[in-house]
Amino acid sequence: MIDPEELRTRARDLLEGGQVRAVIGYRRGSRGWAAEPVVITRPEEAQDLVWDPSCVHNLALYLVQDRRRRGALRESTDRPIGILAKGCDARAIVVLMQENYVQRDEVYIIGLSCESSGMLDERKLAGAAEGIDPQALEAVDFEGDAFVLSSQHQQWRLPAAGVMAERCLECRNPCPKVHDTLLGKEPREQERRGTASAPTMSDPFAELQRFEQTADSAAARWDFWSRQFDRCIRCFACRSVCPMCYCEECMVDSISFTVTPDTTAQEKANRLRWIERSASRSDNIGYHLTRALHLAGRCIDCGECERVCPVRIPLRLLNTKMERESRERFGYEPGASVEVAALLASFRDDDPNDFIR
Amino acid sequence: MAEDPKTPYEPRIVAFLCKWCSSAGSDLAGVSRIQYPANATPITVPCSGSVSPQYILTAFRKGADGVLVSGCHLGDCHYLEGNYLARRKLFLVKELLEFIGLEPERFRMSWVSAAEGAKFAQVITDFVADLRPLGPQDKLQGQRP
Repeated sequence: MIDPEELRTRARDLLEGGQVRAVIGYRRGSRGWAAEPVVITRPEEAQDLVWDPSCVHNLALYLVQDRRRRGALRESTDRPIGILAKGCDARAIVVLMQENYVQRDEVYIIGLSCESSGMLDERKLAGAAEGIDPQALEAVDFEGDAFVLSSQHQQWRLPAAGVMAERCLECRNPCPKVHDTLLGKEPREQERRGTASAPTMSDPFAELQRFEQTADSAAARWDFWSRQFDRCIRCFACRSVCPMCYCEECMVDSISFTVTPDTTAQEKANRLRWIERSASRSDNIGYHLTRALHLAGRCIDCGECERVCPVRIPLRLLNTKMERESRERFGYEPGASVEVAALLASFRDDDPNDFIR
Repeated sequence: MAEDPKTPYEPRIVAFLCKWCSSAGSDLAGVSRIQYPANATPITVPCSGSVSPQYILTAFRKGADGVLVSGCHLGDCHYLEGNYLARRKLFLVKELLEFIGLEPERFRMSWVSAAEGAKFAQVITDFVADLRPLGPQDKLQGQRP
């Protein structure tokens, strides 16, 4: 496992040497054990950086925000911004580069390998073991195939597989492929899988398979999804946390449409609204299906949308469904390479055709 | 869209037809006097590749019982590769609609050339026959008129 001290030294050296203008990373947040994203610009701030199982956030989001901010301020820069990237974050950065949203020389990627572990799922923590009060915890740490949770007076050692986020259990590339410097090492397949009696990892798309086995008819799936979509309150948290949702104007959200002093009332009234902002079932379905389709071939399964959903809609199912179809039918893997053409901008002669009459 | 209880249920189909082939094919079906059900509302689009998934979702959300996207045969696209791109994109739309529990029969794609008036009539006839037993599509439909 990566020593956080090594990470701090690396960040400090980069900032002192002036190689990067800032580093996007994690620090201890104001809520006990949970880490929070931070942007540091001074070398002495590097000591605040942390690396532990609560570093769940996809930092590529802050790369998007940095570009937006620089665009708004018309700020040019000659130095890249440093960013800590887990396997999933690095895939997100690759997609951003593939889409020319971020250039390779604008980022300095400090790759962090999760090795044979992953991130903690806070929802799984509740009720994972007797006597653990998530509120009272002060720190979580990696320890081989376990997480060590500490409160002021006590320590628990939990098998990581039991409380790890589902997407980490299903993760294929815990080690970033594209990076400028790498901390930690690429895990061997054997280490990742654990032993037969104590598996540390599940099959890719395991949760999707479980869902498809339980809801195996159109009626059962509709019964499930209609209840999920009815719950949506259209807070747009899933969109806000997604590094791929970087459009300035979002077609599902009429208040994001650009209004300048020259925009007439008529123009505003005539703007095409495909989907209203109201939280009705039909509009919610329109919103979530649109999002799933816009993320097809782009979603790198960081699972952030599902984590931040206040009403716990299993959004990962929609995205992993698209990911699995793309992989199986089109041989496309999102975030694997900057060079390949995007999923929906390319085709092959042997794409599925049997559904067409 | 309240159904009149006295009139029997007629499925309503929104058909996105590409300007170069399927639209001309539907024209040929007309001028050849081929009889086929009048359930489809044709919308001519420049190319099947120009059909955004949003069109399909919106058609369903506004109460369509079935949506058809029809374009040129592979290799015949006026824009060379539009129908290849459509095939990939709309395959995902179809999978997603089935995934959330819409009946798979409600979304359909076909390749109909300008010379295939009879095939166009057959596609619509089959589609209507498949939709009729399903009844009205009320899953994605909104409350608004």
